[in-house]
Amino acid sequence: MTGLEELARTVLLCRDYVANDLTDYEICERLQSRQILCVSDLRNLSSHSGQTALVTLVSLMSRMGMQVALDIPDVKLAFAQPPLRGSSIGSALLGANEGLVAGATITTRVDFRPDVIFALGNTPIEDYRAPCWRLSGDEWSGRVDIDGVGTPRAWTAEFPIGSMICAALAATEAFKFALRGLRLRSQSDRAFLRASRSSVWEFGLNAAPFTELDLGLVDFISAGAISQAALYVLARVPRVRMRGRIFDDDVTASSNLNRNKLSLKEDVGRLKVEVVARRCPQLALEPIAARYGNGNPELEKLAPRVIVGVDDIPSRWEVQRRGPAWLAVGGTSHFNVSSSVHRLGEPCSGCLHPIDEPGPDAIPTISFVSFWAGLLTVVRLFQDVLGIPCPLGRQHLWLSPLGMDMPRAAMWSPVAARKDCPVKCFASRSLTEIDPIAA
Amino acid sequence: MTPVTEKKFAVEVVYNGVEKSIQVEVEERVSALLQKAIAQFGITQAPHLLSLFREDGTVVDESQSVEQARLKPGEMLLLRPNAVKGGSERLRVAGEILPATFMLLRDCGRGESECAVYWTGPGSDHTVDAVEHPAHTRSPFGYEVQSKWLTDFWKQLAATRRSVKAQVHTHPGQAFRSASDDCWPIVSQAGFISIVLPDFAAGRPTLDDAWIGVILNDGHWQRLASASEVLVVS
Repeated sequence: MTGLEELARTVLLCRDYVANDLTDYEICERLQSRQILCVSDLRNLSSHSGQTALVTLVSLMSRMGMQVALDIPDVKLAFAQPPLRGSSIGSALLGANEGLVAGATITTRVDFRPDVIFALGNTPIEDYRAPCWRLSGDEWSGRVDIDGVGTPRAWTAEFPIGSMICAALAATEAFKFALRGLRLRSQSDRAFLRASRSSVWEFGLNAAPFTELDLGLVDFISAGAISQAALYVLARVPRVRMRGRIFDDDVTASSNLNRNKLSLKEDVGRLKVEVVARRCPQLALEPIAARYGNGNPELEKLAPRVIVGVDDIPSRWEVQRRGPAWLAVGGTSHFNVSSSVHRLGEPCSGCLHPIDEPGPDAIPTISFVSFWAGLLTVVRLFQDVLGIPCPLGRQHLWLSPLGMDMPRAAMWSPVAARKDCPVKCFASRSLTEIDPIAA
Repeated sequence: MTPVTEKKFAVEVVYNGVEKSIQVEVEERVSALLQKAIAQFGITQAPHLLSLFREDGTVVDESQSVEQARLKPGEMLLLRPNAVKGGSERLRVAGEILPATFMLLRDCGRGESECAVYWTGPGSDHTVDAVEHPAHTRSPFGYEVQSKWLTDFWKQLAATRRSVKAQVHTHPGQAFRSASDDCWPIVSQAGFISIVLPDFAAGRPTLDDAWIGVILNDGHWQRLASASEVLVVS
C-alpha cells in the first residue's frame, strides 16, 4: 500500500484505541480514504494568518495520509510558507500534492464528496451534507466550532500564532472522525474520540502581537519532529530574527514524514539539519551534523537559550548540565505533549525527567501532537524574550490535544525538585542541604 | 471533639484530558489506586510506565497507602508516564533464540506436558543470547524446577555476570497466566517478563498467540497487548 511506510508511526499510535485484530493496512486505509474539504473566500484568505491557518491544517492532515480538496480562490502569498514552494496559496498547496506523504492528495476536484469540511473564519459554505467546523481566532488564540456555533470573524491579522492553534485543533477533529469509523478495543475509548462542539486554546500572555522581534542566539538540540515544528512556527512569524545552531546527525527517513513539518518526500536520505536550515533561511541556523555532546568542546558551548526536542533523556540531562540561562524541553508521549521551561536555579529537566528509559525503535507519533509540542515551545520562547514572567506554577504543561474541549486538557504545574535529580541541579541540591536528616 | 477522617472517598484522575472519579480507601495502597485508574481508562499500551502526579508536580509514591500519601477527597491526580517517551527499554532477543525456545519446549513437552525455559544474557545490558532448559518434573498440569539445578544455575549466573531476562513456559490449550505462575516466577523483580505459549508450543514459532506480561512495582502481573512492547527480535 502506498504511504504505509510513511504512516507507520501514526498507525502504531492508532493502536492505542483500535481493536487488536485490525491490520496496519486497515488502519492506514481508513486514514487514507478520508476526504476533507477546506473552504475559504477571498477575504479570509487575503491575510497571512488566514493563509497560515489553511496551509498548516492541510499539511497536518496530509501527514496523516488524508485526501484534501480545496475550494478556495488563488491568492498571492503574504509571506513564504516553507516547506511549500510557490508564490500563491493555490500553487503552494497543489504543489504539495503527494509531496508530504505518498498517496495523500491535495486537489481542487469538483467531484469530491467530503466526509468533513473545514471553513476559514466566516466564509459562506454550500450545503455539502457533511459535518463542518469553522476555524477562527486572533493573534494569540484559536478556536474550532461546529458550524452554527458562535459568530466567527474573518481572518485579517498578520500575526499567525492563533491561526496555527486553530489548524492544530481542526486536524485533531479530522483524526478523531477517521478513528471513530474503526472498531475500537473498548467502547469506553470513545470518550477520547468524541467530536468536539467547540475547542479553544489561548496562551493568555496579555501581550500585544509584536511587529518585529530579535530572539538573539538560540541553539536547537535535534532536528526531529519537535524542533521542526518549532522552526515551522518561527518561520511564519514575520520579521522574527535569530541566529543559532541546530545539532543532529540523523538523516530523514520515510517514517519521519508523518510529523516532520519542514520535510518533504524528496528529503528522504538527506541530513535533517541541512533540510531545516535550507527551509528557514531567515532564521540564520548553522547546521551541525553531529549529536550534541560528541566531544568537541568548542561546539558544545551553548547559546543563552536552548530548545531541546530530543527524546533521549540523558541528552536532555547533558544539555541541562551545561547551564543555559533558559532551556525549553518539548516532548510527546502517545497523544500527550510535555512542555517545560527551566531557568537557572529552578528545578531542572532532570527533576522532571529523572528516569532514563531508552524506548523502542518505533515510537508512536502523529502530526498534530508533535506540532503542538513545537508551537508551545516557540510561544514560551517569545514569552521569555518579551520579558513576560512565567510563574513557577506554569513551569510544566501536560497537554492532551485529543480533548481540547475538556476542562482538564491542559494541566499546568510546577516542576518538583528531586533529591535524586540526575543533573544534581541547584534546586535539587538545595533540598538536600536544608533536610536535616539527609544532611 | 475528635475529628472524623473519611475512610472511603473519591479522587479525580485525569488521563488524555478525560476526568474520572475513583473510589479509594485510606488503607489501600497507591499502587492499587494506580491499577484501578489504568483499568478504568482501559489503558493497554505500556501501562507499567504510568504514575500518578499531584497538581504540584510531585509523583504519588506507589509504595505508600492512600493515607500515608496524604491523598485528600476530591484531589486531582494526573495519570501520565514517569518518563516522557514512547516505551520502556526492550529486550533485544537474538534471532536464533525464538526457534531454539520452541524446539526445546516441544522436545521436552512432547505435546502432552508443560515445560519451561529461561532466557539469559549479560547482566550489563538488555540482550538475550542464550536459552537455559532447567531440570524439572513435568505433567500436563504444571512443572516444577529441581531445587539443586536452580541453586547451581544462580551460582553460574553470578560467576559469569549474567542474568535471567525472561521466563518462557507452555500451557495446554490457550496461553494465560495461572495462579501458580503468579506465585512462582524465577525472578520477582518489577519489570521481569513472563511469556506463556499455548498448545505446548506446538504452533508456529512466533509470539503472536502468547500471553506476555511484566511484574509491576506492587508485585502484580500486567498483561501486555503485544510482544513488541517489551522485546525486539534482531
